[in-house]
Amino acid sequence: MSKKRHENQPPGSGEPSKPDKIRPAKPKRPASGLPWNPALRGFLSLLIALHLLAVFAAPWNLSTNPALPPGFMMPVDANGRPQPVSRDHPALQQPVVPRALGRFFNHYLNLAYLNHGYQFFAPDPAGTHIIDFQVTKPDGTVVKGRFPDLKEQWPRLLYHRHMMLAEQTELMGSDSGQQYADHLARLHGGHCRMEWTVHLMLSPEEVKAGTALDDPKTYRVLATVESQVGNPNNAAGEMPIAIPGGTQ
Amino acid sequence: MGMIKDTRDYVADAWQAWNRFWFTPTDPATFSLIRLLAGGMLFYTHLVWSLDLQAFLGPNGWLSVDFIRQMQGEQWSVWSVFFWIEQPWAIWCVHIFALVVFFCLMVGLFSRSTAVLGFLLAVSYAQRISPGAFFGLDKLNCMFALYLMLGPCGARYSLDRIWRLRQGETNDAPASASANMAIRLIQLHLCIIYLFSGLAKLLGENWQAGTALWWAVANFEYQSLDATWLADWPMLIGLATHVTIFWELFYVGLMWNRFTRPISLWIAVIVHGGIALFMGMITFGLTMIFANLSFVAPSTVRRWVDPLAGRVASMLTGGK
Repeated sequence: MSKKRHENQPPGSGEPSKPDKIRPAKPKRPASGLPWNPALRGFLSLLIALHLLAVFAAPWNLSTNPALPPGFMMPVDANGRPQPVSRDHPALQQPVVPRALGRFFNHYLNLAYLNHGYQFFAPDPAGTHIIDFQVTKPDGTVVKGRFPDLKEQWPRLLYHRHMMLAEQTELMGSDSGQQYADHLARLHGGHCRMEWTVHLMLSPEEVKAGTALDDPKTYRVLATVESQVGNPNNAAGEMPIAIPGGTQ
Repeated sequence: MGMIKDTRDYVADAWQAWNRFWFTPTDPATFSLIRLLAGGMLFYTHLVWSLDLQAFLGPNGWLSVDFIRQMQGEQWSVWSVFFWIEQPWAIWCVHIFALVVFFCLMVGLFSRSTAVLGFLLAVSYAQRISPGAFFGLDKLNCMFALYLMLGPCGARYSLDRIWRLRQGETNDAPASASANMAIRLIQLHLCIIYLFSGLAKLLGENWQAGTALWWAVANFEYQSLDATWLADWPMLIGLATHVTIFWELFYVGLMWNRFTRPISLWIAVIVHGGIALFMGMITFGLTMIFANLSFVAPSTVRRWVDPLAGRVASMLTGGK
């Protein structure tokens, strides 16, 4: 811009002219060569700016967390161990700008399916979850299955959808596991018992030592769920527990 | 006075630059290619639902409509046609209609209309499976469907174009300001995706340590090609992990510099091609590559695609 300002200086306005150093001004492309009238372009520009702000606000809002003030003394239990604070703790400082933008654009983002965080493989790649089920029919026959399962779910995209079902149980809470068990009990007609398992991953050293990625010791059952077809009082089994981090 | 004039000039220049950026008519070749590829992906994605339609989209499938609505906060703006229909035959009717729409969008038949219908249908499916079975593919599919509505997505590489040629049209597809606007929106949307994807990774200890790539390839359920030989190459794992995160964070700058753009595009092909090949996410990997094609100039697209498109058009028009 500063270069352009010098170039556009009117002749004889202060600095002595140096014709040998003055380069011809860069021709401006006239905006009039563009389609649509300026009012329409102005209106479209407003819509574009709002849309991009909305697209930006969605992941900004979803990826920011409230923070405790510096020096905040964490509550401790009887043994002096620090305890996590609740999500509605009054000391938590909310990121007010992304939250406000998120609220403002919420319905627009929902309508266009744009309300996403885009946290691909973040914050860290983690072990996947697997659901094993067993449905016992009234005649005693048993249907066993697993999802995701490459042998049963093909093509790869269908397998991946089943993988997401098992994976997003963590996001949706224990009721989702009950939903799956109810569906399987209805589908096969019987009593369904389901296990929710996490498949832990191996370090490079463990792989180099010859441990297979699907070694039985890498699977850990986190919860079980049961469902009986026709029973309106199906209750969840064990409550899911926190998923252990790191490798075993 | 000088400062006021400078400010006025700056605002005028910025407004002109903004206008040129968004509204300069452009050859719709890149936009049309994206319609062809994204339309193909939309068709395939929804075709696969046919294999287990009622389980994923029926009212009493894996996740009931009531449960999904509850998870979504019962918001009126989260909508899906599958929230309102319950009969299996009705779900199948909508599904078959959707497949016809996505197929027409892919081949470019009634492109402007099918783009609008395609968007409404793509969002309907995605909302029904979110949360539950959704992932990045659905986000990208809906993003494409949204922007394809905005311009002449069937101007090239389409049955609409062949139809016009058969009707005796001899003019080339006209440059289009709305095609430019749609492409710009895809480009900037993609920049936002990469920025927040990179920022989210910054919070991960394994991304910081440079080991995240290992944990991606060591995931047995994702694995489609064994890449655990990387265990012997910690420097390669570290380098690839760090390149990925820096590339995502600086994607916007790398793409808007004409010297670094080809490098950035090749990194996109390697990163997403790697995800497709080694982690079995072929659809997602391809879709991200399709989105990156928005940065390829129309002249380059025409150099690559026109010879093949010309042969297909000749076949369909009987050499006219």
